[in-house]
Amino acid sequence: MSAETTGPEAIVQVAHLHKWFGLLHVLRDISLTVQPREVVVLIGRSGSGKSTFLRCLNFLEQPSAGTITVAGNRLHLEPGDRPARAHVAALRLCTGMVFQEFNLFPHMTALENVIEGLVTVKKLAKTAAVPIGERYLAKVGLLDKKDVHPIRLSGGQKQRVAIARALAMEPQVMLFDEPTSALDPELIGEVLEVMKQLAREGTTMLVVTHEMQFAREVADRVIYMEAGAIVEQGEPDVIFTRPADPRTRQFLERII
Amino acid sequence: MTAETAPAPSDPDLSMGLRLQARQRHERSLEFLRVGAVWLVLILALTLALTQLRIEPGYLIRRSEVVLKIVGGLWTTILVSLVSVSIAAGLALVGALGRLSANPIAQGISGFYVSVIRGTPLLIQIYIIYLGLPQIGLQLQAAGFRQLGQLFILDAITSGVLALSLNYGAYMTEIFRAGLQSIPHGQWEAAEAIGMTRWQILRRIILPQAIRIIIPDVGNQFIAMQKDSALVSVMGVWEITYLANRSARLDSKYMELFLVAAGLYWLLTIVSTFFQSRLEKRMATAYER
Ligand SMILES: Nc1ncnc2c1ncn2[C@@H]1O[C@H](COP(=O)(O)OP(=O)(O)OP(=O)(O)O)[C@@H](O)[C@H]1O
Ligand SMILES: [Mg+2]
Repeated sequence: MSAETTGPEAIVQVAHLHKWFGLLHVLRDISLTVQPREVVVLIGRSGSGKSTFLRCLNFLEQPSAGTITVAGNRLHLEPGDRPARAHVAALRLCTGMVFQEFNLFPHMTALENVIEGLVTVKKLAKTAAVPIGERYLAKVGLLDKKDVHPIRLSGGQKQRVAIARALAMEPQVMLFDEPTSALDPELIGEVLEVMKQLAREGTTMLVVTHEMQFAREVADRVIYMEAGAIVEQGEPDVIFTRPADPRTRQFLERII
Repeated sequence: MTAETAPAPSDPDLSMGLRLQARQRHERSLEFLRVGAVWLVLILALTLALTQLRIEPGYLIRRSEVVLKIVGGLWTTILVSLVSVSIAAGLALVGALGRLSANPIAQGISGFYVSVIRGTPLLIQIYIIYLGLPQIGLQLQAAGFRQLGQLFILDAITSGVLALSLNYGAYMTEIFRAGLQSIPHGQWEAAEAIGMTRWQILRRIILPQAIRIIIPDVGNQFIAMQKDSALVSVMGVWEITYLANRSARLDSKYMELFLVAAGLYWLLTIVSTFFQSRLEKRMATAYER
């Protein structure tokens, strides 16, 4: 295991990533490069390993083997290695994550949620963190809710606060794991709208989603995963209209 | 408060709602009065029965200074319980963190502590601390460790507080552990994802939420402890039970004075329960603003 700095060209570089859950080989030799400002959408059926892949990128799940480089922080793991805490912390600082279930801190107001990382991790004074937090709440259109606890927010509002919380740490890449799957249909739009805006502003994003319309509109690249491997990837037009692999075709026929 | 005192609403739905609500309140207070009446009858019947058996309530009035002395023991009981439950909560927090820790030493120590304390009677623990430890202290002093030996010789109140703290700390360790474990895993993940360390997550995310969940149980432990604190009377701490026992022996008025003591504990429990439910209500709305 080692950590070193590589060139600035790619933001995310994954090489030969493997993940086992016990005897279950969930990620099988995944390699992927994401360029700055690129929006990559991951699709695939349930259990194909999409969440596990995202979660390996910020070590919520520990990869079994492989190399992960995010914003120049390189972490190489041989089977059985344990990563050093400092390396994990560095990786987490350059990734922001948005969860399906929002996972807001219920005992904190919207603003307190957003500035928590700034205060405890980045050690900013509260007076310095508050304006930053307010800026990101305004960005997701929720500045007027800053003193409200999550229990008083709708699902869509919660997810927007969660996005602001991740953005406030100013990560180099944002990871979204089915950000709209827990939402009532009428609340999905507002969250997708925020994500589209981020994409327009050039935020580098990796998104797991079942929102195919969103993928078509926003993605620079769509990746189809099956059984822990990348089957096919390409521009959304190509993947959605004339996929090369029969497995991709079958999956798309089933859901569209 | 009834619907009549509010300005008559024009909305028929609302006025019907208010009427139903007023009626519900009325019924609830009637029921409360009925249950209260039953309690009163029970207490009167018991008093009557006791007077028939040559138990003298009049004694309590004649020797009111004895009663007041026992009431004075209330403060010691409250003090001992309050201090002990606070120390126990601290122990329980450390114990719970130990039990949940990945470190085998922390796990071993906390598991051992909980097992030993829960597996032995509180009275024995009191005896070991009050009568057993001084034996060690004297040995140490004989061996020339004067200061160290002195630490093992504790006065009655300190021994009582120590025993109650250790004992309740073990039971509360399990309460704290369950509380910490009840916080959804997503809370840990969200905090990890923004880069917080394990310790920061515990302190700022998990504990504040767990404490809300734990509060009712800690309240119950406090109420139970008020009564278990009667055991420290065996060391001659001047709390309710000891004072009742002592005075009762002088005048051979056991039933009268132990009933006074029982009444005091009961009162304490009722008052504590009242404050506990108020605290719980306040905690329940704390996330809402
Ligand atoms: N903590 C775990 N322990 C054991 N097995 C797990 C664990 N997490 C996931 N798995 C398994 O790993 C496989 C991939 O799961 P993953 O959640 O990554 O799939 P997914 O593509 O995100 O699916 P979905 O669309 O349902 O979210 C599944 O077979 C799942 O059962
Ligand atoms: Mg998933």
